[in-house]
Amino acid sequence: MITLLKNAKVIDPAHNKDGVVQDIYIRDGRIIAKPADSEKIGQVHDLNGKIVMAGAIDMHSHIGGGKVNIARMLLPEYQAMRRLDEPEAHICGANCSHHATPNTTDTGMRYIEMGYTAAFEPAILAVNARQAHMEMGDTPMIDKGGYAMLGNDDYFLRLLSQNADQKTINDYVAWTLHATQTIGIKVVNPGGISAFKFNERRQDLDQQHSHYHITPRRILQALSRAVNEIGIAKPLHVHCNNLGVAGNFQTTLDTMGASDGLPMHLTHIQFHSYGTEGDKKFSSAAANIAEAINSNKHITADVGQILFGQTVTASGDNMMQHLNAKVANPKKSVIMDIECDAGCGVVPFKYRDQNYVNALQWAIGLEVFLSVDDPWRVFLTTDHPNGAPFTSYPHLIRLLMDKTFRNDAFDKLNLNAQAMSNLKSLDREYSLYEIATMTRSAPAKLIGLQDRGHLGVGAAADITVYTDQPDKEAMFAKPDLVFKDGELVVKDGKVIKVVWGATHTAKPTFDLGVEKDIKHYFDRYHTMQMQNFKISNDQIAEDGRNHVINHVQG
Amino acid sequence: MTNQQDSMHACPACGLLCDDISGDAIARQQFSCGKAAKFYARVTTGVSPQVAGQPASLAEAVKAAAAALKQASAPLVAGSSTDVHGARALVSLAQQTGAAMTHINASSTLRNMKVLQHRGWQTTTLTEVRNRADVILMIGTDVVSHNTRFFDRVVWVDEAMFTEPAARKIIYLGGDKLSTKPGVSPDGRAPEVIACASEHLPEVVAMLRALVMDKPVTATTVAGVAVSTLKSLAETLKAAKYATLVWVSKDLHYDHAELTIENITETVVALNQKSRAMGLSMGGSDGDTSVNYAHTWLNGVIIDAPEWESHDAVVWVNSYSPQAMPPAGTAPVIVLGAPDSTFAAAPAVFIPVATPGLDCNGQQFRVDGSVTLPLTAAKPTDLPTLTQVVAMIEAQLKGDLA
Repeated sequence: MITLLKNAKVIDPAHNKDGVVQDIYIRDGRIIAKPADSEKIGQVHDLNGKIVMAGAIDMHSHIGGGKVNIARMLLPEYQAMRRLDEPEAHICGANCSHHATPNTTDTGMRYIEMGYTAAFEPAILAVNARQAHMEMGDTPMIDKGGYAMLGNDDYFLRLLSQNADQKTINDYVAWTLHATQTIGIKVVNPGGISAFKFNERRQDLDQQHSHYHITPRRILQALSRAVNEIGIAKPLHVHCNNLGVAGNFQTTLDTMGASDGLPMHLTHIQFHSYGTEGDKKFSSAAANIAEAINSNKHITADVGQILFGQTVTASGDNMMQHLNAKVANPKKSVIMDIECDAGCGVVPFKYRDQNYVNALQWAIGLEVFLSVDDPWRVFLTTDHPNGAPFTSYPHLIRLLMDKTFRNDAFDKLNLNAQAMSNLKSLDREYSLYEIATMTRSAPAKLIGLQDRGHLGVGAAADITVYTDQPDKEAMFAKPDLVFKDGELVVKDGKVIKVVWGATHTAKPTFDLGVEKDIKHYFDRYHTMQMQNFKISNDQIAEDGRNHVINHVQG
Repeated sequence: MTNQQDSMHACPACGLLCDDISGDAIARQQFSCGKAAKFYARVTTGVSPQVAGQPASLAEAVKAAAAALKQASAPLVAGSSTDVHGARALVSLAQQTGAAMTHINASSTLRNMKVLQHRGWQTTTLTEVRNRADVILMIGTDVVSHNTRFFDRVVWVDEAMFTEPAARKIIYLGGDKLSTKPGVSPDGRAPEVIACASEHLPEVVAMLRALVMDKPVTATTVAGVAVSTLKSLAETLKAAKYATLVWVSKDLHYDHAELTIENITETVVALNQKSRAMGLSMGGSDGDTSVNYAHTWLNGVIIDAPEWESHDAVVWVNSYSPQAMPPAGTAPVIVLGAPDSTFAAAPAVFIPVATPGLDCNGQQFRVDGSVTLPLTAAKPTDLPTLTQVVAMIEAQLKGDLA
């Protein structure tokens, strides 16, 4: 059956289309060229010039895996069981939640209702990947995928400290992608999670690890080179050292140089853009960071915007989260060391606009957004749930697109913070084309999803239809229609049909000979067999709701 | 790259999930663990469904189960002794029938969850302990009563990355009828045993926490234990490179045991201000971690405690505990579980289902929470899985409603 979207006003930056009125034809879940007149059109939606974009892609959102589930357990005060027969305006799980820690059903529902058709879990502990995929497999409506964490695992650190050759490292990185069914590689506080296990409390970029005698810079070099050489699209995803520390912008600037010019993605850069100026020794270094991004074309970044209210931070960075636990609100936290692989830290936070640091964090994120010139290299994230729940994206989009709205919000901030920010001097207002770039075309290109994030012939028919209106928050909160793989699943912002997405992976070729040494390591030191560490396609597809889409890359 | 299916199985008989059980060992019934021997010796063939104690077809039993659920105004899904896939099915059934859901180990699970939800905690996992721990303090437990191979698999190993395994210091603090022999090192070094009855652990552990926190203490003994002994223990923990404080919530079975657990976890938090230490919660199974975790990600909330008296029908799942049944007087009971179940009184409906790791494949969480292992059918049968049976009951309910 062919579905026709008639009179669509298409915004598709991948094809340089900015408001081109055209017809879109869909068959078997794909966008097709205009069919012959003899072919029957099964379904016609006359859009009368409504805005049409590809489904949005969240390239960094903590939607599955141990940390997120611990966060759910930790905060019962924000959850409550509700019965299905309770009147709901939309299809939901028994516990419909719009809070920071939604269950898997609600995660999928809330994303699709906003026109998002894919989300990527950015911090999958390799040893915890099976759980992450179980949770993502129970997340309906959207496509999923993840980045596997390396760089604090003892196997890799041993390799580096023994001066293993780059080929061995490349093979190990590729093996990890296969074993964990992921599409990218992440490093969190390079070396720092490991160092914390040896009772170190900080790990600077050029400071030697106390046990392995290698530096985070060396870890970043080796991993960025591996990712580049095995030929996957997604550049190394880097959570820098010194998360949240006043003065950490220098570490961030230095980190940009650590890949020797190879592509590198710096994540939740707002949390890494802090200076030490002013009475409180905490200031915005957004201008320095944005300038560096503008001039370093090999760098991309997502922002990790904070928004005010209760949330919970869930990170692999247990070294820094152990420090942050002192300011937990409510006062409780979970810190874990995990399997000689990595760690995690879950710390609830309440960001307040009258708190100097929080107010400035809010401003710093927006300063970065507005000061980075190229929307292909800066991504719209709140680091869900760390800066704010992903459900606040429509609000964030309005802050970027509406200067008056933004400045009114700024005027309500802590006055000392206002005095330390140049936000009001930034007149930029994002266009719909730029928003479509940073939420569709750019993430698809960054991750290597060739058939997503655009509306060209052959693309998956993940399509969102909006009514343009002055209030951009209202516009992006409630699309008129959302199609997932060609099926109409959301109407007027409400789910009308439940579907199950796929899991996207990248599996580059590699020398399987590397497995011999990995198995030897497992047998010597682990408490599980190597074969059980590896996840098969069949295991992802179990219970019939999920399947793997592998992307041939490189 | 595909997963090579060699003959190694992960054993779900306890929370340790040892995954070095060879097909050969199962065939010969040679195990170093009594729990594994008992599990793999189970006979699960030749059992048919029953309705009111009489043999019935699967279709008849499904129909009877659906009818009983339809009549109930407040059903309960209980036992829930299964794996992740079974947990998903039970959550779905509970949602569709408006049932509450609990687990056979809910009371011990909730002791831990109360601490997590009140203060959080700082914990570690088995491979970290295996490679780092130089001091292991077991509080109120010998661990081995629950996880037989704990010392073989985690403590007295041939090699560790960052410590000398044979030199580890093993300390038992309190507990009843402990088996401390496994704590003897391979070269014959006896563990330190600081004896006190479990019922005195609340005050003894509170004192240990105070000493670790350098609080002024005037008492010289607490519940018969010399404070000097505990002070020495506190110093040992502070001097450790990676102290591991182990508890088993099932062994702390007295009122408000969560306060003892919180004193253990807050002792760890205090130690981590200057040195490194971590908590390790052991014990577990009947899939308790799997069911609690899956329930949490599917519903957003943890598993609940059973309130038997307020329910008028019970779906009982006992895959890993064939002898276990709900309290007498609960009716009607629909058993979806172990083919080798033993009943004092016939349940309203009995549908034998495949046990993950024995009759069919599955996935199970290890007791330390971060690791999930695939379970493989050690002795494949054609019994339906819990997922399949629940789907049939749901279809029957939907048909009834239509």
